[in-house]
Amino acid sequence: MNPYIYKRIIRSIVVFFIILIINFILPRAMPGNPASILANQYNLPAATVEILIKEWKLDAPLYEQFIAYIKSLFTGQWGYSYQYYPRTVYEIVMERLPWTLLLQGTTTVTVGLTGILLGILAGWRRGKISDTLITLSAVIVYAIPYYWLALLLQYFLGYKLRLFPISQALTPGAVYNSWFDYVVDVLRHLALPVLAVTLTAYASYTLITRNTMIDLLGEDFVFVSRAMGLPENKIMRMVARNAMLPPITMLTIRVGYIIGGAVITETIFSYPGLGYLIYQSIIYKDYPVLNAAFFMLSVTIILANLAADFIYMFLDPRIRYGERR
Amino acid sequence: MPKKESIIKAINMIIIKNSKGLAGISIVLFFVFMAILAPYIAPYDPYAVVGKPLQPPSPQHWLGTNDIGQDIWSEVLYGSRTSLLVGLTAPFIATLIALVLGLLAGYKGGVIDELISGAIDIMLALPTLPLIIILAAYLGPSLLNIILILAFFGWAGGARVFRAQVMSLRSREYVEAARALGASGMRIMFIHILPSLTPIILADIVMGATSAILTEAGLSFLGLGDPTVKSWGQILRHAQASYALQLDLWLWIFVPGLFIALLGTGFALIGFAIEEYMNPRIRQKI
Repeated sequence: MNPYIYKRIIRSIVVFFIILIINFILPRAMPGNPASILANQYNLPAATVEILIKEWKLDAPLYEQFIAYIKSLFTGQWGYSYQYYPRTVYEIVMERLPWTLLLQGTTTVTVGLTGILLGILAGWRRGKISDTLITLSAVIVYAIPYYWLALLLQYFLGYKLRLFPISQALTPGAVYNSWFDYVVDVLRHLALPVLAVTLTAYASYTLITRNTMIDLLGEDFVFVSRAMGLPENKIMRMVARNAMLPPITMLTIRVGYIIGGAVITETIFSYPGLGYLIYQSIIYKDYPVLNAAFFMLSVTIILANLAADFIYMFLDPRIRYGERR
Repeated sequence: MPKKESIIKAINMIIIKNSKGLAGISIVLFFVFMAILAPYIAPYDPYAVVGKPLQPPSPQHWLGTNDIGQDIWSEVLYGSRTSLLVGLTAPFIATLIALVLGLLAGYKGGVIDELISGAIDIMLALPTLPLIIILAAYLGPSLLNIILILAFFGWAGGARVFRAQVMSLRSREYVEAARALGASGMRIMFIHILPSLTPIILADIVMGATSAILTEAGLSFLGLGDPTVKSWGQILRHAQASYALQLDLWLWIFVPGLFIALLGTGFALIGFAIEEYMNPRIRQKI
């Protein structure tokens, strides 16, 4: 194996541990303690606050808390949630995780497909009307805030036309006669968040795919292939396959931000995923949940970045076509 | 070494000859004028209660009034100040940090490079949005805090690009020649390498502006913005919290969001134009 790979992996592990330390320090460095926040919320007497602080070991020295934190992360004993006490963090996270994976998995596919296909089309037909239209629309939606589009979709498609439900992941209190009804309900609730994210996020993938296409179409191998009389659709497929590498790398990195990126989307749609949970946990300073959630976040980001690096290393067209720049 | 004429030529290529650049600079200037002239063109004081709450749009209140009876159009006009301030200062600070660290890492190499590259790796792998939310929630919601937070989380990508660029420039003939003639490291960095980074620096700032504007609006939308100044994200927040859509007051949401998108697009267009200037192959086929 390439020594670069070892170096990269060791480096990622070091980075990961430093991030674990940052994840521990930042939430705790902020003023206010979770017991008194809960006490305010539910009008708890001072004696209860004392008990909670003891119970949650919030008065223990920081290094002891840190050792307990590291131990709990790696043993999977994530403890009890403060805000949903006495439910365990593991239970809550596992209940929320599938919804986030469903929502973000779907958007990753729709964003990637829409973005890359439109980019290939625009790059291939560069200078033509279809290119102008695709590029122009991508440039316009590039900076649209997705939460704004989400609100407008909620209004027009959800509230006015009543096409799709505007919040939650399932109809509250619904009884399903078959698994098919269940799936339809899930998909209907998925529609607006997926649409809002896809319509705003595809643009950067389209632009980078298009630019890479145009870059590649100017390369000698395209010129030679044309001179050899290769049919145009074959050339297009050859160029498109290579133009997909930068956006696929970008998409891989995006996978790392799946959980963190869900915070605002899920909050708007009251979608019961991890993003919404993280937002609530920050507000309530629910350390055990934040510990577990940030741990998972950091693991996914680091793995995704590593994967992106390796994809780039093995598939970079410059490596395959030889260094010429 | 870029001379004065070539800088003028570059500006000409980026914002006059390039339709994207021209559109981008026009949009940004439009909002700059809106921000400067806000006190003169706003029909009301945006902080004053000037009517009944939750009124629909009317000739007196173009976008209606908000949940406490302030004029929404005046709020929107003043909101341009916040977005522009954050959108210009945060990426400027971030790019400055990125530039200093990128130059040091790329030019000095060795241990300094290892340390800076490590810091870049860490910054790029942090769960940024949740950490920004934590910091904004607990540092206190002031505009200065938000600018500093955005700058702190915004430098790593740029630093990586600058570092790579400096490393490749370091071995160019003209830099080698300067070194052979006895120029100091500082002189080489600032006189010989820095000028050729100008387009990347500008691209980094304007692209950073788009993301800073979107993030600031997102934070304000979540209620983590500065409550004492009007901002577009904050207007959206109040609109959503007052069930504006259910009350059919959709312009209350439509206009501030549109302005966020427009200003963000304006900066992004300038960024695309700079990118095309740096990579002529993309440009020639348009």
